Amino acid sequence: MQKNTDDVFNMILASTVHDMKNSLGMLGESLKSIFERIEVSAIDKKATELFGIVQYETSRVNNSLMQLLALYKLENEQLPFNPSYYNLYDFLHEQKLLHLPLLDAKKIQCEIIVDEDIEGVFDESLLGTVLENIIGNAIRYTRTKISVSCTHSDHIEIEIADDGFGYPEEMIKLAGDYIHGINQSTGSTGLGLFFAHKIAEMHKHKEKVGNIKLANGGSLGGGRFIIQLP
Amino acid sequence: MIKYSEKKVLIVEDFTEFARAVGTMLRNMEITFCDTVTSGEAAIQACREKKYDIILSDYNLGSQKDGQQVLEELISFKLIKPSCVFIMLTAEKAAAMVMGALEYQPDSYLTKPFNSQTLKLRMDRAIEKKQTLKPITDKIRHAKWHDAYQLCDKIMEQSPKYRSSCLQLKFDALKGAKQFDKAFKLVSEIANERITPWVLKCMGSLHYENKELEKSERVFIEMTETFPMVIEGYDWLAKIQRLLEKPVDAQKTLQRAVERSPKPLKRQKHLGQLAEQNNDFDTMTHAYRQAVKYGQHSAFSGAEEYVKLVKSIGKVLQQNTTEDRKKLISEAKSLFLQIEHKFKQEPCTQFRAAVAHADFSYIIKDQKSIDKYIKNASAFFDKIEEHIGVNESIEIAQSLKNLGLNQLAECVIEEAVEQYFDDPQFIKKASKITSNKHLISNAKKANTLNNKAVKYFKHSDYSSAIDFFIEASEIAPNNVNIALNHAQALLKRFQLKKEYPQDLYDSENILAEITRLPLTDPRYQRYSELLRLNQLMLQKIE
Repeated sequence: MQKNTDDVFNMILASTVHDMKNSLGMLGESLKSIFERIEVSAIDKKATELFGIVQYETSRVNNSLMQLLALYKLENEQLPFNPSYYNLYDFLHEQKLLHLPLLDAKKIQCEIIVDEDIEGVFDESLLGTVLENIIGNAIRYTRTKISVSCTHSDHIEIEIADDGFGYPEEMIKLAGDYIHGINQSTGSTGLGLFFAHKIAEMHKHKEKVGNIKLANGGSLGGGRFIIQLP
Repeated sequence: MIKYSEKKVLIVEDFTEFARAVGTMLRNMEITFCDTVTSGEAAIQACREKKYDIILSDYNLGSQKDGQQVLEELISFKLIKPSCVFIMLTAEKAAAMVMGALEYQPDSYLTKPFNSQTLKLRMDRAIEKKQTLKPITDKIRHAKWHDAYQLCDKIMEQSPKYRSSCLQLKFDALKGAKQFDKAFKLVSEIANERITPWVLKCMGSLHYENKELEKSERVFIEMTETFPMVIEGYDWLAKIQRLLEKPVDAQKTLQRAVERSPKPLKRQKHLGQLAEQNNDFDTMTHAYRQAVKYGQHSAFSGAEEYVKLVKSIGKVLQQNTTEDRKKLISEAKSLFLQIEHKFKQEPCTQFRAAVAHADFSYIIKDQKSIDKYIKNASAFFDKIEEHIGVNESIEIAQSLKNLGLNQLAECVIEEAVEQYFDDPQFIKKASKITSNKHLISNAKKANTLNNKAVKYFKHSDYSSAIDFFIEASEIAPNNVNIALNHAQALLKRFQLKKEYPQDLYDSENILAEITRLPLTDPRYQRYSELLRLNQLMLQKIE
């Protein structure tokens, strides 16, 4: 009987998340239509910026929903993990495009440093959800630019760096214990890093397991998020 | 650069506001030719009428066909050209992926909501990839395996970006060419780099081709343990366990698969068959009930799952008296009505259903209905023009015997034995039903003669082959296999010596006698190919 209740709950949760995602999509599209009806001369800098913010906030809610649904499924052994070969250049470029409206609105540069021909093995949809969140945060906390770089040797290493103030020291120290990073005053829910950690751990090869690291400094001088997948 | 102004696009989306938004994005890419439909059925119809270059389909299309079913039907019925790019739009990629079979994958998944830049990038990539790999996939489609795998190396060198796709196609080509050792070497090298679901599937399927079933079973067990949400692993594992004669294990495996992905019709039907074999009628009922439910909007649905569902309900009623009898009986009655209505044009199905109905009425002790449906069954039997399938014949004959209609049962079995004498499983079952010992011994005789003839045929001794085929066909004049073999041997003999034009007229007559082969019969293709060859040869001499 327990099984059945779980199934029903799973179904309701999934269909509600899908429905909310549809609403979010429509919200964005409707706003865009409103924008298209306004004369170009009437759209000033502030309006463009506000438009960017609405888009960013919608995609943030959307991304959080995806993470929550994925974590629920993970808990119930229902989360599909389907790693395959993907081109890293294509994959990272697409992550950038998702954030283009906000990047443009906030006039933030985004640089992608990766060899065009390399392929990596990972679950595209799960890693995509992780990076969408991390890149979104980087845009939020950076000053002028962010960089997304990737190296591939015996493992994949993706780094997202910015030139903002960096991660708080206590957060960096949490290393791996991100659920305790919840902090109402800073607005950090801990969800993004917790999720990233879980997804990294699902990627295994022989004895090695994926992981994430936080650091400050680097070439841009701000926060650095690093995810390593074997 | 891709010229989007020349591309024909179809949007399949039930949410009209969203479809309009996608339409606007496409217009900004200079796409002018764009149709929109709001249901899967309409999408299939649109593809019958026009050939699209790009299809953007929502996965969730309301209560009708879903995007995955649309894709499967478009591919199976060859309604899209091979170069057509199919992009699945979905709220959640993972959920959509679990529901589909690996062989019917869209070119790309795009998670909603998305912006026009992402849409364009996805379309660019999918089109570019398809174009780059086209020389290889063309060769594979035409079974030119050798050319295909040579091209794989060449294209892999030119476009290292598509290395893994080229390697996968190379594997397909080697497997197609039946070069299993080379294919195994290739997949082992890839496995050293990384174990992916694809790698395990390839290894397991190669063991299967090499008839190493235990090894294959081990690989697929590993696949289901390492990647429990990749459903194809379970389907393979169940198939292997069935061949290893472990039907109970196979049933458990498929039950784990349907827990995760209940929609595919084929999977539910396989589960139903296994449960029937294991006498687990609750599971059988459940599986066929799901098959009927999910088959509602599928072009692959047939009478089979309806009849099987009624049969299993009957079995449950026989076994268990505490169940809600009334509910089950009314479910069965409604199913019979649906069969009557849905498969009106198929006398064979109507005959099968009438027998099943009489059988069911016997279980619920409804004498009036028994009499009525026995009468109907006899009437339908006279109308049948096609051969009744091998499993259906057993099922029907068994029910008729239960009902005491021995004469009709014998008729059905006699016809089936004549058709399927070369199937040892069938003969075993048939010999338990028939009381005509002569029938089985004759079948064995015909089988021996046919086998002898086939042996001569393989050694290109067509004249001896023909002699034995004639002898075999005297015992089983209506057997399609013997007739086809006989005709083929005659055509071969003519081709070789061109001495006896009479051979062509003889084979024409033999083929003309085959009038009851349904289009759906696996032998139909061979039959029509022989017919075509025969006509060609006749034209040349006339």
